[in-house]
Amino acid sequence: MSSVVHLANNYIYIASFTLFLIGFSILLLNSNLIKKIIGMNIMDTSVFLLFISQGYIKGRKAPILEGGGSVNPAEYVNPVPSALILTGIVVAVSVTAFLLALTVKLYNLYGTVDMDEIIEIRRSVDGNS
Amino acid sequence: MKRITVGLLLGAMLVVLLSTVSEMPQFGSPSNPTHNYISSRYVGKSALETGAVNVVTGIILDYRAFDTFGEATVIFVAALAVISVLARGGRSGD
Amino acid sequence: MIEDNDIILKQAARVLTPFILIYGIYITFHGHLTPGGGFSGGTVIASSLILNRISSGNHGSGPEIDRMMGIASIALVCYGLIKAMGTFFPDFTHRVLPRGIPGDLLSGGAILPLNIAVGFVVACVMYIFFCLIGEEA
Repeated sequence: MSSVVHLANNYIYIASFTLFLIGFSILLLNSNLIKKIIGMNIMDTSVFLLFISQGYIKGRKAPILEGGGSVNPAEYVNPVPSALILTGIVVAVSVTAFLLALTVKLYNLYGTVDMDEIIEIRRSVDGNS
Repeated sequence: MKRITVGLLLGAMLVVLLSTVSEMPQFGSPSNPTHNYISSRYVGKSALETGAVNVVTGIILDYRAFDTFGEATVIFVAALAVISVLARGGRSGD
Repeated sequence: MIEDNDIILKQAARVLTPFILIYGIYITFHGHLTPGGGFSGGTVIASSLILNRISSGNHGSGPEIDRMMGIASIALVCYGLIKAMGTFFPDFTHRVLPRGIPGDLLSGGAILPLNIAVGFVVACVMYIFFCLIGEEA
């Protein structure tokens, strides 16, 4: 019973895992390439949410210093996870852009964006040649 | 058939992840292992050593500016990769 | 994409572009005072360039890709040079660049030039992504 209460207090982790499973199922169940890219983006977002939420402390403020003079580190949220995830977000954007470029190239070559149809075309080309 | 397999796989992943969440420390408590002396040093000395009021900017552009340099390089190389895949109209044959 | 007689769209984009540009420059320059910085400011600046390109006719007009790559590479090299000067000559960021009082605009040593360099790189790269992926032919 106490473990259920513990789970209910860690609602952020449950939300992050739910987003991860939703993104993963989108990636597996659709055959359209654009939808697979969207699923991968949702999985990236869920991992960022899990990491950034490690830095939160109840009842403290955002890490913008105010009141010039002495600074008490005990009234600010941990800023280190936010600073580290910035690099991760940029890497996710770069990977998405490259995936989209490859999809445009595939569309120009085969005329369709559907994975099953592309495999059929490849199979018929390999069977004939 | 495919949906049943995916459903079973996701159910197994859900059970594993939920049992992991029950072992993780409490969300938002100040005695988590992620809050150590580094974050209190960064918050406490940021105005003196870097001069930035925004602590996150002071971290990514003063204490760890080399990581931000690598990240700018990553996004620049991504632009190079997209150009090399998609740009047309260059010189052909020399 | 857009027919050439969509004059309302063109005029509205011409009116909106300076405001979006000012917003992006504000986010980039005040990176050490308010949340923001180089990456988010660069994205907003890129969105103003993309709006200009989308709304101006069939053959989108705007800067060429070569010039944008040149600007991005020069900005990346400038970031490296400023950081290297700060590493090898330790009083570069204390004497030459303005140290100032925390809370002013011209404070924080090398943070302001580095923010501007990162903003240039991100804006040019986002514009190149749109030119190549989002437009046909």
